[in-house]
Amino acid sequence: MKVPKEYYDELFPFQGQWDMPSMCGLKIRHHEGHTYVIVTELYQENPGTSITYAGRALAEQVCKAKGLDISQITYIECAPDTNSKLSFYDEEYFEVDFNADPQHKYRQLPADEIKRILEA
Amino acid sequence: MKLIYPKWKKLPGQTTFNLPPHGPVAFAGTLPEYVDVSFTDENVEAIDFEEDCDIVALSMMLSTQVKRGWEIAEEYHKRGKLVMAGGISSMLHAEEMVQHVDSLFLGESEGRMDDVMQDFLQGRLKKVYNFMGQLPPIESVGKCRRDLYKRHLYNHKGVQMVDLFHASRGCRFSCYPCAVSYLGGRKFRPRPIDKVVEDMASIDNNRLFIVDNSLAQNKEWEKELFRAIAPLKKKWISHTIEDDDEVLSLAYDAGAWYVYQAVYDTSDYIKERVKRYHDHGIGVEGTILLGLDNQSEDDCKRLIDFLGEIDLDLAEFTILTPFPHTKTYDDLLRQGRIFDFDWNHYNAGQVVFQPKQMTPEALQNVYDYAWKSFYKDETQEQKMFNLFCKVALREMQEGTYRQRDRKLMNQSFGHRVDRTKRNVNL
Repeated sequence: MKVPKEYYDELFPFQGQWDMPSMCGLKIRHHEGHTYVIVTELYQENPGTSITYAGRALAEQVCKAKGLDISQITYIECAPDTNSKLSFYDEEYFEVDFNADPQHKYRQLPADEIKRILEA
Repeated sequence: MKLIYPKWKKLPGQTTFNLPPHGPVAFAGTLPEYVDVSFTDENVEAIDFEEDCDIVALSMMLSTQVKRGWEIAEEYHKRGKLVMAGGISSMLHAEEMVQHVDSLFLGESEGRMDDVMQDFLQGRLKKVYNFMGQLPPIESVGKCRRDLYKRHLYNHKGVQMVDLFHASRGCRFSCYPCAVSYLGGRKFRPRPIDKVVEDMASIDNNRLFIVDNSLAQNKEWEKELFRAIAPLKKKWISHTIEDDDEVLSLAYDAGAWYVYQAVYDTSDYIKERVKRYHDHGIGVEGTILLGLDNQSEDDCKRLIDFLGEIDLDLAEFTILTPFPHTKTYDDLLRQGRIFDFDWNHYNAGQVVFQPKQMTPEALQNVYDYAWKSFYKDETQEQKMFNLFCKVALREMQEGTYRQRDRKLMNQSFGHRVDRTKRNVNL
């Protein structure tokens, strides 16, 4: 269940919950004057906290490392397709609004919307 | 040290069985020798809050234990006692747990408790001992303190319950509903075979439950393990064993009694898998997870009906539950489908999320139907008795059978048996 490399431009090590050494995939895209940060879950290749559980703490670490302002980016979590026969591992992208209430924190992105961002 | 394993509410309708818990005695085995330990498993006896102690340690495995653990901590705080917590569910619910105890231990305790106890003795116990991701050498895993068990409390009508045992830690699989790889590492960490044999031989019980997540992680190690433990003539339950004739044959010779095998679809593969276990003399308890996104109500019922065709010895049904640090949790959280965060409800028998293809009520009904349907002709207790007879017969043939303890024939887990009632949770 290895995550295909197409899902990320670089591996991003981060400090997970309780300082656990953790790893995610990272892509940053600029589209129409806006910055999109896309973090990808690596499952077995991630020794620590998942990107979703790490949440804002991961977003802050990415922004700090890349010199970005967290209030000026669109932050996207990617659950990649791992070519598993199990449908639970199908590809999904979610835009995360850390300021929203829990029920509205995540918005699943339609395929055409994420395609437009990734191809920018 | 007062070591406590908090109670949890058992699932209604299921047969009551209390196994001696593994986590607390594994932890106690890592304490320095000078620590005098008194152990209470609250599932089988009440806590004596007035018993003298210097420190209280809560060992917790299940999400359904954590809130009771907090209540116990509060009781001891009223008495001015320091409370520390550790174990699987302390790690899964660490952010909340740390708010309720004086000291939280995260990670595996081998090689670490000398320092912790020194800190305690010198009055500088830390709020958090964080060893997450810092796994101790697997060779350092020693014997559990099984001498702490009050054995008569783990006995049903004279029959001693199985002892829990582990031959490895960690898991190389990242299964959808499971948090083990987060807790014990994403690598399979087998214990040295000689230590496994020494540890297993020291247990005063001929029946064990090898609780490793899956023995089918390294075929060569698995074969070596089975060859090494065969002379001990123990009989054991385990999770999945490698689907290989040679391995299954070695497993039977090593004492495999029955295994937990996931039944996730109605395929011929599953049917054959169960048959291969039976062909090798190994019983099968099917584990059936209900409520996955690819299951409709009809799919679940077809799966339940299918169980009748594959000759399972036992079946255990669970409802998909989004335990923290699982992919299930992340997916359902992002999709806004978790509607209940009361950890007392995270018992795998109660729906806490919105299923994809049915209502929560329909899933709850399917779950109830599954239990009733599978055990309609023969109760769970009767089917367990059938398995018990098989192992007893084998033990008699091998000369290892132990007679029931006559002094406890009228006792069940420390209580007098009421023969007018079935041994079922209300």
